[in-house]
Amino acid sequence: MGVITDKLPGVLEPVPGGSVLLTAVDQLINWSRSNSLWPLTFGTSCCAIEVMMATGAARHDLARFGAEVARPSPRQADLLVIAGTIVKRMAPRLRTLYEQMAEPRYVMATGSCAICGGPFMYHSYTTVRGADEIIPVDVYVPGCPPRPEAFFYGLLTLQKMIKEGESIRHPGERRRPVLAALPEGMTLDDIRKEMQDLLSHDANVNMAAAVAEGARYSSELKDF
Amino acid sequence: MSVHVSTLQARISGESTASSPLSTEEYFVNMGPQHPSTHGVLRLVLRLDGETVREVVPVLGYIHRGIEKMGEHGNYRQFVHLVDRMDYLSALANNWAVTMVVEKAAKMETTERIQAIRTLVCELQRIQSHLLWWGVFGMDLGGFTPFFYGLREREQICDIFEKTIGARLTMNYIQPGGVMFDIHPEFVKDVKAFISYLKPKLVEYDALVTDNVIIQERIRGIGKLSAERAIALGATGPVLRASGVAHDLRKSEPYGVYSQLDFDVPVGKDGDCWDRYWVRMEEMRQSVRMIEQLIDNIPEGKTFMVKPAAKIKVPAGVHYSHLETARGILGVLLVSDGKEAPYRIHCRTPNFNNLWCIGEMATGGRMGDLVAMLSSIDIVVPDIDR
Repeated sequence: MGVITDKLPGVLEPVPGGSVLLTAVDQLINWSRSNSLWPLTFGTSCCAIEVMMATGAARHDLARFGAEVARPSPRQADLLVIAGTIVKRMAPRLRTLYEQMAEPRYVMATGSCAICGGPFMYHSYTTVRGADEIIPVDVYVPGCPPRPEAFFYGLLTLQKMIKEGESIRHPGERRRPVLAALPEGMTLDDIRKEMQDLLSHDANVNMAAAVAEGARYSSELKDF
Repeated sequence: MSVHVSTLQARISGESTASSPLSTEEYFVNMGPQHPSTHGVLRLVLRLDGETVREVVPVLGYIHRGIEKMGEHGNYRQFVHLVDRMDYLSALANNWAVTMVVEKAAKMETTERIQAIRTLVCELQRIQSHLLWWGVFGMDLGGFTPFFYGLREREQICDIFEKTIGARLTMNYIQPGGVMFDIHPEFVKDVKAFISYLKPKLVEYDALVTDNVIIQERIRGIGKLSAERAIALGATGPVLRASGVAHDLRKSEPYGVYSQLDFDVPVGKDGDCWDRYWVRMEEMRQSVRMIEQLIDNIPEGKTFMVKPAAKIKVPAGVHYSHLETARGILGVLLVSDGKEAPYRIHCRTPNFNNLWCIGEMATGGRMGDLVAMLSSIDIVVPDIDR
């Protein structure tokens, strides 16, 4: 990768259409990276059941997002999901696992414990208050433990981050960590508007009928 | 020229230790803390001679969070939610263990309805826990199908819990003086639908895995644990019962409404992996039986006897109480000095004692069988380290 990132832009830029080609290659690489995340089977406590097992099983089915190939070895994995509490004794091992993973590597901190220590934040003499004290974290997924759906939201956020992030011109550049929860002040109407925009962009949905349906649903919701 | 042919049966019933005239050298292998088969962050130090295991030493502390010490800093109600994170697969039973000792010490009264609801949800969770174990056991043996099947049924129980309790895994439901919420109006209907759904599935499991020749040949006769050694090591739950000791607190010291229920305690014969497998499968059927008896007979009454904000004070002294979780006996020792917070809390967790049986089981066996043995104990590592 080093040769490509060092030499390729210099060679291709002067060529007519070279920049376009570089961007296209960037998009291709990022698309394939984001859709074939291989997670490491790393679970320390409760979150492992929800985040590693329930997501991989039949109902939630991690395979829909191309991330079902869980690898026991960090050398084959490129997504480290910190599922559970990290204590002081485990911290050096977690760092080792992270170092063993090949670049580009991504880290998701799932659950309160991995974000800030969670229920073990006060009075615990062993818990590390957040995995980001040891390794850089890309996406945080809150919950204790997070539901599988919440994990998927985090995974989609990570995919979005990868697609918009690194390029051959700027290797190693990442967007700042994203909180995988709804932003404050986000209302149901905002979500619906975003959905409508997305659907009308595809232009395969009868928007008038859909909007009417949405209005009816909204009035029902108000009654509730 | 002659070819020595040994049947599968001969190889299974034959010596499991390696015998060779060649001299070999022993070596050590570290299994874990990052290993897919240790169910978390357990580390095993193995002393091996070729393929033969000479000694297994579990090394603990990779998820020690100091839950017992943290309990001294809050009141009893606050301690309940911490034990959820101990044995997270039987969170409700953990809640109940703490609740039981506090209620016993503070002489708090409960209604029949509270006890019936607690029994019901604990039995549901026992099925949930065993389903997960069944799936993971299959996965550890190399088959992925049981994992999907077991988790599929488990999700249905998660749905039932979600309606009533509002959580899928860490419940914080059973509190001193009652339960957090009354059961959902659809609870009875949902549980009945689930039970009628699960019963044919258990038959399917038998056809898929239990009666499978490959599974039987794989787990029969390995990881033997005699009744004497199981008792000496303090093993409880399915591990002890598989060794032939019919000790179940639900039967011997009934709590909740277990004394009114009709159920059997499944007991194994040899104490090998197969017996542990069979005992757990049978326990699921017994739990189904219990739920069937109970689901139509939930008595009316209050579901909370004290106000949630009420201060609970336990008289000074040492109090102990224990119950049967999905993995064995969970005992809570409470030392109180009469204040709102406990002076000291100690949990006697089932997984800690069950884990040390691995040394007894694996010594002299094959390296390849170790994973099956470890999986048949059904350990939850945060429960060991606390």
